[in-house]
Amino acid sequence: MKPTKNKWLNKFFVASSVCMTASMILSGCDKKAVQTLPNRSWQLVWSDDFTGNAGTSPDSTKWTYDLGAGGWGNSELETYTRDPQNVSLDGAGNLVIRAVSPSGTSFTSGRIKTKGKFSQAYGRFEARIKTPYGPGIWPAFWLLGANVDSQAWPQCGEIDIMEQRGQEPSINHGSVHGPGYSGGNAVTKAYGLTTGRFDTDFHIYAVEWGPDFMDFFVDNYLYERVTPSDVSGTWVYDHPFFIILNVAVGGNFVGFPTTGTSFPQSMYVDYVKVYK
Amino acid sequence: MKSIQSIRKVTLSLSVLFLLSFLGCKKRDIVDLQKVTYPTTAEVFIDDFTSDLAYAAFGGSDVKAFQIDKQVTYGGTSASMRFAVPDANSPQGSYAGGVFFSKTGRDLTGYNALTFYIKASQPVNIGEIGFGNDLGASSYQVSVSNLPANSNWTKVIIPIPDPSKLSAERGLLYYSAAPLNGRGYTFWLDEVKFEYVSEIAHTSASILNGANKVLTSYIGVTNKIDGLTASFNLPSGINLSVNLSPYYFTFKSSDSSIAKVNAAGVVSTVGTGTVVITGKLGSLAAAGSLTLNSRGNFVHAPVPTADPARVISVFSDAYSNVPVDYYNGYWAPYQTTQSADFAVTGDHVLNYTNFNFVGIQFSNPTINASQMRFLHVDLYVPNALPPGASIQVQVVDFGANGVFGGGDDVTGSTTINAPTLISQNWVSLNIPFSALNGLTTKGHLAQVIFVGSNLSSFYADNIYFYYNPVTPLQAAPTPTAAAANVLSIFSDSYTNVAGTDFFPNWGQTTVVTQIPIAGNNTLHYANFNYEGAQLGSNQNVSSYGFLHLDYYSANASQLRVFLISPGPVETPYTLSVPTSGWNSVNIPLSAFSPVALNNIFQMKFDLGSGDDIFLDNIYFWKIPPVPPVPAPTPVYPPATVISIFSDAYTNVAGTDFFPNWGQNTVVTQVPISGNNTLLYTGLNYEGTQLGSNQNVSSKNFLHVDYYSANSSALQVFLISPGPVQTSYTLPVPTANGWNSVDIPLTAFAPVDLTNVFQLMFVGNGNIYIDNIVFHQ
Repeated sequence: MKPTKNKWLNKFFVASSVCMTASMILSGCDKKAVQTLPNRSWQLVWSDDFTGNAGTSPDSTKWTYDLGAGGWGNSELETYTRDPQNVSLDGAGNLVIRAVSPSGTSFTSGRIKTKGKFSQAYGRFEARIKTPYGPGIWPAFWLLGANVDSQAWPQCGEIDIMEQRGQEPSINHGSVHGPGYSGGNAVTKAYGLTTGRFDTDFHIYAVEWGPDFMDFFVDNYLYERVTPSDVSGTWVYDHPFFIILNVAVGGNFVGFPTTGTSFPQSMYVDYVKVYK
Repeated sequence: MKSIQSIRKVTLSLSVLFLLSFLGCKKRDIVDLQKVTYPTTAEVFIDDFTSDLAYAAFGGSDVKAFQIDKQVTYGGTSASMRFAVPDANSPQGSYAGGVFFSKTGRDLTGYNALTFYIKASQPVNIGEIGFGNDLGASSYQVSVSNLPANSNWTKVIIPIPDPSKLSAERGLLYYSAAPLNGRGYTFWLDEVKFEYVSEIAHTSASILNGANKVLTSYIGVTNKIDGLTASFNLPSGINLSVNLSPYYFTFKSSDSSIAKVNAAGVVSTVGTGTVVITGKLGSLAAAGSLTLNSRGNFVHAPVPTADPARVISVFSDAYSNVPVDYYNGYWAPYQTTQSADFAVTGDHVLNYTNFNFVGIQFSNPTINASQMRFLHVDLYVPNALPPGASIQVQVVDFGANGVFGGGDDVTGSTTINAPTLISQNWVSLNIPFSALNGLTTKGHLAQVIFVGSNLSSFYADNIYFYYNPVTPLQAAPTPTAAAANVLSIFSDSYTNVAGTDFFPNWGQTTVVTQIPIAGNNTLHYANFNYEGAQLGSNQNVSSYGFLHLDYYSANASQLRVFLISPGPVETPYTLSVPTSGWNSVNIPLSAFSPVALNNIFQMKFDLGSGDDIFLDNIYFWKIPPVPPVPAPTPVYPPATVISIFSDAYTNVAGTDFFPNWGQNTVVTQVPISGNNTLLYTGLNYEGTQLGSNQNVSSKNFLHVDYYSANSSALQVFLISPGPVQTSYTLPVPTANGWNSVDIPLTAFAPVDLTNVFQLMFVGNGNIYIDNIVFHQ
């Protein structure tokens, strides 16, 4: 999740000829007709559907916290805490990561990970998420190489399944960072909604990862495939990765929040599922 | 301040429109539809006027402010809209503003925003830009206030709060822009059109700016739901708030038998009780609510009777008011008082809430009150009067310079307390300028200020200065005392003491005449300094309780009345002047001590300075020594009382009403029209030993009915063992027959209310007592 400069944007304009009227675009009818996807027989191996009482912390057998400030290498503004006002279950089956601005110039938020609890190489990593919005808000669902303590970033590898900028609530980014293609030079692709925005409802973000491919999905629509020939450096995606969920405020990727950014901003995660 | 106002009823004719809708992926066939006849054209101004577009400038604006510009355009298109905002005070107009409207109307239901690009010659906030202003009712007006623009072209999106409303909209674009720091500037709009922007999200709405407002109301009061806003998150992730007309909302009353709300957000109170008004924007509940606590029928302030020719009015529906700067100055930083003024069927009422002090100012011009004698104010305290509540009325004169400050301002004030100040009834104050201590000038009155103590809210009405005619327009009120109980000196209603000289020569300047006023003989003291009256014969008035007097003076500033017995022994009693009409007083004769009441031979009035005094109905009177009727029957539910002595309830058994405590008093029980009544003859003190100790701590009041024609002092004591006893003073004699009092038991602290065992009366004269009852 390093900065990606000179990002190019490619909106998919999906044929939707059947069901459009002048005043209404029906998003449910349009996408399935145009993609034929390989049938992969996934088996669920790990999941969290975030059931629990409102205000309680997420399952400590599955998740641990990244805490503190310092910018996280991206000049981010938030301080991550384990306070339930920043990270807690909502009692309705969702994890909520909430960015709060107590003073207008200071921000707290949450970042949780499965490091040391769960990691896996290959498979399908999927989450159903309703994202936050507003300038300077940077939500993410991503994977980091579990060998990060011995092999420093970017050698350990990073797979960004969902990254959004709050000032572009219609656009999702899928990226991989590795040696020679990280930060602003990551291999990345943006996926834009033709109608509506990601923050108004839940969407399913997923990556399907094999020894020689990385397929990125939004709502089961394949919008990006990365293969070893697409990366300018070494293909480092051959070892287990762990999962991270966070909401950053400010930073090189997204810019600073403005007076027009409304707080608090919450990312709702219905579930995270990992398949083999 | 009651007046009749015509209510203009606006009848809206609604045309029924059928909207096409498509559900799911299947197209449905709908037959027999009336076609929507309005075009769905999206464009307002792309490179020129669209075919149905017309322009009208606002009144007072520079009518040439808008021009089509072919040089400065967005994205190299051929033309844009240019708006040249004039300098302030420009002869062409003081601002730029106008409406672009469709001559035919459009169906905009398929769009959800008005969009355009804007740039300006300098950084500036454009006062107001929006749509829905159709030069008529503008039912669906929406605007953005203080829209920022700079020298870069910027896209602006103004969402339509509920597109389904705009099926026949004529108001496509309007704007209003004022000079910046007095100087003009230019701004441009281009690519102005309606469109469907799918990335508009997170709509929220509020009424009353999101506040949950609570107001007291009455039947006939209307309140307007204002503070209407809607907020949208734009594609850029930032929120935009728009102002919108009430017709976008659906308002709801929680109980339409208490208050109704119409589509314009006007709430009419029609019943008694508590009701909550809420609003919805489409299916979205708006933040904020209005709770009305309706107390039912409003009691209007008394209709003023002063002659308009002698009135300078600040606030009244009965008179033409002078120009008033404000009725609430919101004087920072210490004032907490808010205004929630209301009108009940055309009767406007000032309503001050969260009251500490509040000023009304009328300085342009100030009021020359040199002829005026009184300030009239009607006050109404809507809640129970807290202990120690008072309201000070201040009048400020700005002095000879006519403006605030300058060392010549003076303030006069007077303070109103209980018992004059009461709650849940109008109190009509007629404050003579002479009672406004400190107001030494009155040629440039500019403010009336109310300062409260322990008073959270009040209503005010009929605030005016006035004076009365020198000669009263009406006769003094006709006396009601029975002739048998009256010894009359001067009255058309009774047989007077014969031979009284009302104009003896005591060296006075006063000239006394008798003049008929409305056919009623009235004494007129002209050029009054002092004036005696020599009774036709010496009178023994010791069996009477009161001297009654009706008097009137529009111009006196001091007045006293004396009774005189030979010696001479004379005692004055001060009468308040000037009067705001006829004043009727009943002066207890004890006030004239040590005058020999068995040998009155003269009366006297003094302290005049060339004034005019009118007198009528000068007589001595008494209530009958024996009550002619029994005490009124109490109405408290039997289950809620502890009765000591009453025919209406079961009394505490075994009470001794005549214990031997060494007193002179003789106690008997006498029936009056069949109602058992206690009679204390020759009272000095008199105890009552209850049949058993009583716990009255659940009760709130001690009720006593008492009657005395000749007592001049009376107290009642409540006693608990110790003894712990506390007295409460009862006014005597009882000028109007039976007196019913409900004494709060808190007045008897520190008596132990859980263990009351005795009562005691202390005083003089003969006292009739009935209905000694503790109640809630």
